[in-house]
Amino acid sequence: MSSTQFIELVLNGLITGSIYALVGSGIALVYGTTRVLNFAHGELMMLAGYGVLLFSVTLGWPVLLAALATILLVMLLGAIIQRVTIAPLMKREDWAFNVVAVTIGLSIFLQSAAQLIWGEQFQGVPYFFSGVAVIGDVRMPWQRIAILLVALAVMGLCALVLFRTRLGRIIRATAQDAEAALAVGIPSGLVHTAVFSISAALAGTGAILLSPLVTVSPWMGASYLLKGFAVVILGGLGSFGGAVAAGFLLGLIESFSVSFVSSEWSNVVAFVFLIAVIWVRPEGLFAGRGA
Amino acid sequence: MLEVFGRRPYLVLLVMALLLAPVPFLQLNDYIVHVLTLFLIFAVFATGWNITLGLLGLKTLGHHAFFAIGAYASALVSHYFGVSPWITMWLGALIAAVAGIIIGFPILRIRSMPHVAIVTLAFAEIVRLVFANLKDITRGELGFWGIPPFNPIGIGDTAIRFGLGNAAGSFALAAVLFVGVHLILLLLLRGRCGLTFLAIRDAEAAAESLGVRLAAWKLFAFGISAAVVGLSGAVYAHYLMILTPTSVAGPEMLISLLAMIIVGGVGRFFGPIYGALLLTATSELLRDFGDYRMLLYGALIIVFVFIAPAGIAGLKPRLGRKPAEATKPVEAV
Repeated sequence: MSSTQFIELVLNGLITGSIYALVGSGIALVYGTTRVLNFAHGELMMLAGYGVLLFSVTLGWPVLLAALATILLVMLLGAIIQRVTIAPLMKREDWAFNVVAVTIGLSIFLQSAAQLIWGEQFQGVPYFFSGVAVIGDVRMPWQRIAILLVALAVMGLCALVLFRTRLGRIIRATAQDAEAALAVGIPSGLVHTAVFSISAALAGTGAILLSPLVTVSPWMGASYLLKGFAVVILGGLGSFGGAVAAGFLLGLIESFSVSFVSSEWSNVVAFVFLIAVIWVRPEGLFAGRGA
Repeated sequence: MLEVFGRRPYLVLLVMALLLAPVPFLQLNDYIVHVLTLFLIFAVFATGWNITLGLLGLKTLGHHAFFAIGAYASALVSHYFGVSPWITMWLGALIAAVAGIIIGFPILRIRSMPHVAIVTLAFAEIVRLVFANLKDITRGELGFWGIPPFNPIGIGDTAIRFGLGNAAGSFALAAVLFVGVHLILLLLLRGRCGLTFLAIRDAEAAAESLGVRLAAWKLFAFGISAAVVGLSGAVYAHYLMILTPTSVAGPEMLISLLAMIIVGGVGRFFGPIYGALLLTATSELLRDFGDYRMLLYGALIIVFVFIAPAGIAGLKPRLGRKPAEATKPVEAV
């Protein structure tokens, strides 16, 4: 393998991995704080895809404004989904499976609703960044490099909020013990909703960055959901930092697996790796800081 | 036990068998018989899945993989080696059971529900991708066609034929499968085996402290469950005579079966049967609105979890049919 090829594989792995990290860290945040496994997380991505299509293509807004509007929109949707379909179930004794079932139902409902509303076609979004970056002998479109940089910035911002602000401390306190948090005056219910919004913002960021590359369709989120789950488990269930690290790791594994097996097997490699890790280390690869 | 099986499970099964028996002789429209045949196959599938999901309480989400394994194993062996489907269907069930036990091993180590759900889901995705990628053998998503139907059986002068296009024979076969599987499972689960599963579901640590060997029983449950699902898959394959990886191991299969079990009643022995009947019938009624099918299934799952978490089977006591049970809280499982 030449060094050019090697750099290219690493870059590709990091770019794919940054999307996995965005999706996975959102799922991990929600799971870590509320113990809810949200199967409709992919559909938040899909809705963000249609959001950016609406704002930037149909309405012709500037990219930055369209992206911000989209993120606000999915944050609102995330909060509504949590309030309406998940919060009422949390009081039940067997809520864990009820919530899984409801979010699976919601996921397929939103997918088919999108299919009925917007049709089955794959709709393109123009590149936000033009031009090609040249690093040594490696040529990479700026759009792809931007995915990595923006994803890192957004996750960094999120980590800053989680570990350096009052809101972050409130979220981490709720994650440790929701009842005790309630006892010291933290409105756990509202915190849960806020966490869903943040998680939706992370998914939305991923979808916006992806939309020019993979096109927008009712199924655009579904394929990332299982990858997101894999990342969450590899990173140690519910650990934000672990999920980010595992996201990049999974991206690199897939990228390098392509040089050994044909690309249609790369997902098989990724999922076999997941099951193998669970067999050997059920607690995940990375020790988390919690929340 | 009462909650799971109802008062007289054998009587219920007998009534079902008596209702099914005259169907092949009624000269019904072939299409209606076809829908009923699919219902019977999916009912067996749903019942098999309910063993781990509802009785053992492990929230597995990858049983469509065992359906696909049973279907493809039986279809491939009968096609390439010319073995009679009457034999390969058992081979399909056996291979599915082995796969179930293998995937049971990593699950033994974990107690958290999300891990179990994600591992089984990832396993199903692996199985789907393997069948889709082995194009030389399975023709991938183009579809594996030319699967032989079950060989005809001669009774006196009349020969009973099977496979798509032979509605009455196929229905009879599916009905025998349906009654046979449910009868065997009743015999098995009404005894010590079922009690053990329920004990593991309701209080795993307590069961273990009383000497229940958790690992062995869980693997046993996985094997039985996967075998039943694999058997239904094999019958499905030789009935429709064509398979694609997405149709048997794709997300739509997962959603359909999950909807059947939730609508019918998770953890009720007869629940998945009612769910399978209701959903197969409605989805065929809505066939002209193909796009609405998954919308309906998604909505049904949400509505039932909110309004009737114990499903159709859990509704009955509330209607006052069995006043003695009505005082018992209807508990979701």
